[in-house]
Amino acid sequence: MKALFLGNVAADTAEGIRDELPAGLETVILGDPQELARSPHVAADADILVSNHWRPDYPPAPKVRLVQSVATGVDLFDLAALPPGAAVCNSFGHETAIAEYVIMTWLALHHRLFQISGEFRERSSWRTSWVESGAPHGEVRGSTLGIVGYGRVGREVARRAAPFGVRILAANRTPRDPDPGVERVFPLAQLDAMLPECDTVALCTALGPETTGLIDARRLALMKPTAFLINIARGQVIDEDAVFAVLRDGGIGGAALDVWWQYPTAAEPSRRGSRHPFHELPNVIVTPHNSGWTRGMVRRRWDEIAENIRRFVAGGPLINVVTTI
Amino acid sequence: MKTLFLGGLAARVAPRILAKMSETERLDTTVLAELTDMQRLIPALAEAEIVVGHIWRSDFPEAPRLKLLQAATAGIDMIDLPSLPRGITVCNVFGHEPAIAEYVLMTILALTHRLFETVTSFRGGSWAAHQPAGGSPHGEILGKTIGIVGYGRIGREVARRAVSFGCKVIAANRSPVADHGDASEIYLLGELDRMLPQCDVLLIAAGLGPETRGLIDPSRLSLMKPTALLINIGRAAIVDEEALFEALRDGRLGGAALDVWWQHWSPEHPDRRPSRFPFHELPNVLMTPHCSGFTEGTAERRWGDLAANLDRYVRGEPLGNVVMTT
Repeated sequence: MKALFLGNVAADTAEGIRDELPAGLETVILGDPQELARSPHVAADADILVSNHWRPDYPPAPKVRLVQSVATGVDLFDLAALPPGAAVCNSFGHETAIAEYVIMTWLALHHRLFQISGEFRERSSWRTSWVESGAPHGEVRGSTLGIVGYGRVGREVARRAAPFGVRILAANRTPRDPDPGVERVFPLAQLDAMLPECDTVALCTALGPETTGLIDARRLALMKPTAFLINIARGQVIDEDAVFAVLRDGGIGGAALDVWWQYPTAAEPSRRGSRHPFHELPNVIVTPHNSGWTRGMVRRRWDEIAENIRRFVAGGPLINVVTTI
Repeated sequence: MKTLFLGGLAARVAPRILAKMSETERLDTTVLAELTDMQRLIPALAEAEIVVGHIWRSDFPEAPRLKLLQAATAGIDMIDLPSLPRGITVCNVFGHEPAIAEYVLMTILALTHRLFETVTSFRGGSWAAHQPAGGSPHGEILGKTIGIVGYGRIGREVARRAVSFGCKVIAANRSPVADHGDASEIYLLGELDRMLPQCDVLLIAAGLGPETRGLIDPSRLSLMKPTALLINIGRAAIVDEEALFEALRDGRLGGAALDVWWQHWSPEHPDRRPSRFPFHELPNVLMTPHCSGFTEGTAERRWGDLAANLDRYVRGEPLGNVVMTT
């Protein structure tokens, strides 16, 4: 049996789980997907594909029965170009790290951390100090947090947010019972009723037909003018032009963005994440899609991928099945 | 009842406190922002039964009628207790615990996730921290041990939040603690040296007093893990200034978030640096100007509590937040 590990992330995974793979499994590692064109037999022979993507112009991989994503999202796999019957599995382990990021940026936006620490470090400005006193900053206590997408990440966010003494609302595509500390889970179709209540909206959904363009100009206008928007889902969940305009014009209070509308390419390695200069807005915390990228996440995810490959080789039931092609 | 709001802070918040009181008609209020204005200070203190303020100096004039000194802060380290008349009740105020607990979690997360470094580099156009670009992963706080020095109101609020992140909380306190709250182990301050080597994060949440001044000295810093973070929201003088700077500079500590400082601004030096040492040049230090608790929510809770305590005094009811009677 042969497994193809395709792309940088998959190549690292192969190294990390080398000792956990079943004896007899043959592994081929192609860190640079461009090489696939020169070695089409590698695709032709593979029973297992471990990667974060598959493009329609890749050589055929007719024997693949397990498509194991090294990420949670499988939106970069062209499933039509992979053989029918193959199971598509994803991997997690990032929920806790991303939930920490959401809480961190939620706090930093309320406490104006970047502004206050920036001017104190740079020019020793004491104007935000307690006794000397300028305007006080905010706190999350007593505020309302709305979580859009009440899945693994959303629930981990809610669990951490609850002890801060906040009201927690959620919206989810499929009906879900709220966990303790969560007041209500709205159906996604009733999102418009939830948005005006929120001091912070945290986007934790997957990208799909129901969520592409979900946060458009009309919904942004339903948010409080002081509200914060946190996106750790996918860039395309938000209308790029509309959110830039409201952040620039003070239509909402600020944002933390970890996911983007465009990504660097080999030809353009320092391509910006958007056609708009979000990085110039002082009320926006920008990070390069690394909220879940922690040492702990890497270990948890590798363990899950190794487990699934062992199950596949042994003919056992798979975990984390997203769909069957 | 003659009531004096004394010092810049008390003078500024006096209108807000008075607006929250119900017994104001029985108060005769004087507001004096400038502590060195002896011409006004002498007659004001000669008559005052209640003083609201956070500073009491040894050279203050006589205050023969004083009964209640209501501090406008939680810390009373700027009140010179020996020079107060006998029989005075000293009260303080709180209300800052939730805000400071939020600050503590925020800074632990920001240092562990390398937030500032990542944002600065990405603002500059670099995707270096992006996973497919080969960026190295950052840390997370799941499973980390947070050690709290001074397990009072703030420490407990921090513990309650930290356990929901999967952190282990241990604490050291001056006096024995009956209710452990969310902490799994409690040490006496005298056993601190046993606690320090276990901590991934050391939080200083103690007040300043004889037992805590200079507590975190060079030898105790050397007991900490070289990757550990130090968060100080207590008082700067609890930590040895030079030793902390050198440990951070030389990589013997992982990082620090400092909200309290060894020196402060003055009217002559409004942009005075907060330390003799250039902490602001260290990339692994998150620094804020003593504002961690300064939120609108704290103000609302604190001035409401202070007003309620003055109402109790006027009505002859038992006082809250009594620190001591001289």
